[in-house]
Amino acid sequence: MLDFFQAVSDGVLFGATYALIGIGFTLVFGVMHKINMAYAAASIGSAYAALLVLKLMAGAPPWLIFAGAFVAGGVLGYMLYLACFHFIPLSSPLATLMSTVGMLLLIDEVIVHVTAGMPQNFPAMYDDVMLRAGEFTLRGDLLLVFGVSVVAMVALLLLLYRTRLGLATRAVSQQAVAAQLCGIRVGQVNAMTFVVTGLLGGLAGAMIGASVGALSPLLTTPLTVKGLIVTVVGGLGSIPGAIVAGLLVGGFENVFQLYRGVTERDLYVMLLLFVFLVFRPGGIFGIQDDRG
Amino acid sequence: MLELKGVSRHFGGVRAVDGFDLRVNQGQIFGLIGPNGSGKSTTVNLITGLFPLTSGVISFKNRDLGRMPTHLRLQSGIARTFQNIRLFGQLTVWQNLWVAQNSPEDQARHGFFPRWLGGQRGVRGEIAQLLEFSGLAHKAEELAANLAFGEQRRLELARAMAAKPALLLLDEPAAGMNSEEIGQLRDRILKLRERGVTILLVEHVMELVMGVTDRIAVLNFGQKIAEGTPAEIQSDAGVRKAYLGGEAA
Amino acid sequence: MDFYFGLAQLIGVHTLLGLSAYIVLLTGQVSLAQAAFYAIGAYVAGMLTVLGGWHLVPALGVSALAGAAIACAVGFPALRVKGLMLVIATLAFGEGVRLIFFNFDYQIAKGDVKVGPLGGEGFRQIRFFPENGWSTAEVMLFIWAFVILVMALLWWFDRSRYGSVLRAVGEDELAAQSVGINLTAVKVSAMTVGGGIAGIAGALYAHYTTHIEHSSFNVLVATFAIAYPIVGGLQNVFGTLLAVIFVQGFLIEGLRDLGDWRNLLFGALIVLAMNLRPRGFFGGRRRA
Repeated sequence: MLDFFQAVSDGVLFGATYALIGIGFTLVFGVMHKINMAYAAASIGSAYAALLVLKLMAGAPPWLIFAGAFVAGGVLGYMLYLACFHFIPLSSPLATLMSTVGMLLLIDEVIVHVTAGMPQNFPAMYDDVMLRAGEFTLRGDLLLVFGVSVVAMVALLLLLYRTRLGLATRAVSQQAVAAQLCGIRVGQVNAMTFVVTGLLGGLAGAMIGASVGALSPLLTTPLTVKGLIVTVVGGLGSIPGAIVAGLLVGGFENVFQLYRGVTERDLYVMLLLFVFLVFRPGGIFGIQDDRG
Repeated sequence: MLELKGVSRHFGGVRAVDGFDLRVNQGQIFGLIGPNGSGKSTTVNLITGLFPLTSGVISFKNRDLGRMPTHLRLQSGIARTFQNIRLFGQLTVWQNLWVAQNSPEDQARHGFFPRWLGGQRGVRGEIAQLLEFSGLAHKAEELAANLAFGEQRRLELARAMAAKPALLLLDEPAAGMNSEEIGQLRDRILKLRERGVTILLVEHVMELVMGVTDRIAVLNFGQKIAEGTPAEIQSDAGVRKAYLGGEAA
Repeated sequence: MDFYFGLAQLIGVHTLLGLSAYIVLLTGQVSLAQAAFYAIGAYVAGMLTVLGGWHLVPALGVSALAGAAIACAVGFPALRVKGLMLVIATLAFGEGVRLIFFNFDYQIAKGDVKVGPLGGEGFRQIRFFPENGWSTAEVMLFIWAFVILVMALLWWFDRSRYGSVLRAVGEDELAAQSVGINLTAVKVSAMTVGGGIAGIAGALYAHYTTHIEHSSFNVLVATFAIAYPIVGGLQNVFGTLLAVIFVQGFLIEGLRDLGDWRNLLFGALIVLAMNLRPRGFFGGRRRA
């Protein structure tokens, strides 16, 4: 029984990273009605890029590397926007989708080439800290991951609801044409959405690296799939949905792993997706609307 | 032929259609008019089943349509045109008509394989007739997206006719037309009635409505405020108020 | 000469893979699951010929049916939701199938050797062709017989009412519904046919490479499957064929000297292609 609660708790803490990835997917979908398939790969890529900081400054403190990932994420986000959405007319959905898939492959391959496929160590903070309550432990590094993710989510919500950029973004996501007619530069809003989600993604990548202790190119595909599952389960376009779903998936995943092992774990998470697709395609917070 | 009883459609707080009663008899050309936002297009969408009813009953040929899905309704003798033309732009004129041949008659006559996997030969005659009727024979192989606006409107109507409907729902077919085109449209509608088609004409352009309908119902804010012959409607004070917002001279 | 026959075999199988995605794309749906049906076809056929001693041709038939049946089953729930959801659902399904094969063991003893799929190590010794004395050229012709067959089938569909209905659904679902087209039936039928084609492709793949494993059916392959028809254009089946020849022939083999960097170029090529020709190289009829 204790193992169960331990698994849930560890899973939920780690699930905050899934929530960040889910938010990234869902925000781009909400604003542009497109899925950026390369998002999770870019997150991991940003974490890798942050390791360059280590190369330049041997012995750099972990928080500096996390910051590097954060910045790299924003840069990568903007590059993704340019490569996939700036020039291609948005009325060709197949073309934009395909180009994001192309970028996913490109980022994957670049990582494999630069690192020769070898996993790279990633620094963690507070990994030696353990808060105990009897048999129950809260790992310090997971708490940090959770904490950082929560701060990032709050910052994002503040950005969306308390700033002009956020207002413009919400306007574009509701009625892009009308927003344009009001003088909002939709292209700029779209680009900024990619930068902001990129920053979040970079942070998520760093947090994932920190909790696992290493980065590997094998992380990108499962992370893409899980991130998308979180987005769908939470409801496409819903940020609170992505947050709740991320924590949910994190918790479920760990519990499945406890009882059925690592390989079957991922299959159960996918099963979760199919259950939602069949019974509640709108997701947890999706709008149940019968407009047809 | 078509009966609406107490039909309502509410979107959250908005009552797009509210307690609407309507009765269209076979062979009639029935007009449905009203200011913008009065619920005319919503009514058409409700009849074709694109939205579920909030309350009320829609019956076609004395059968309650219930929750029948859209495509089945459109296969059972109802056809419609769209206000904003929705042709299959990347298909040719001929193909646009071909994909619309889903009437019970077509289903019974041809059999599964010929209907789906057979070539054009079997239906060449019928489609040629439709093209003749709409004046589009010379453009049969042209992509629908490349047609002129007037031609697209005619194709939209022809495509609805390809379904061999008993009831035809026309959603503002005269929008953007000049007088000559409206006259041609009027003639075509009358010819359709001669062929036994019942028509519900949702329209804004009074020139067409007054000149072709047998009976008119007027909607305002989702509710029927008047019903009668064209002459009666034209002299109805309530209707004038709804359109002009005040007593007219 | 054998090298070119081998290349032709690869192009043939990839063309089938691309065509399996082509028919689904006509209805406006993007399916990342074609690689999964491909995998299922590969393992089913491999097991029938190696473990069951079947002749390849009936095994191909079963592979096609298996691919079609599973595609149909996946299609029903997945196609009830909006297009982008299908991308996600099929991606997840594809990964799931790959994981299943990663864990799939079924070996029997043949003489003193054990044959059959062995989890992560894959399925080796699928030796129907060598054991029956097929030359590389004969295998190539066999594969291409199927390619031509499938292209002819899809060409026939394109000229029939079914083809126009598929494209109508792909263009405007609301209008299609409103002329009496049953959207679900059309979309699921396209998925089913696509699954069958992918099953055949997989079965042929398993036999010409003689060794398959889960990593041969990953996201990269799923991407190839949809990339070919998208880059080639949805105008007709030849676009897909030309795209395969271009990508595999020119890019991957022609740039051999670049060694490992070829894969990198594939991603970059897609991005470039989509920026330059959003409607595909050979596709999209001009609007006036």
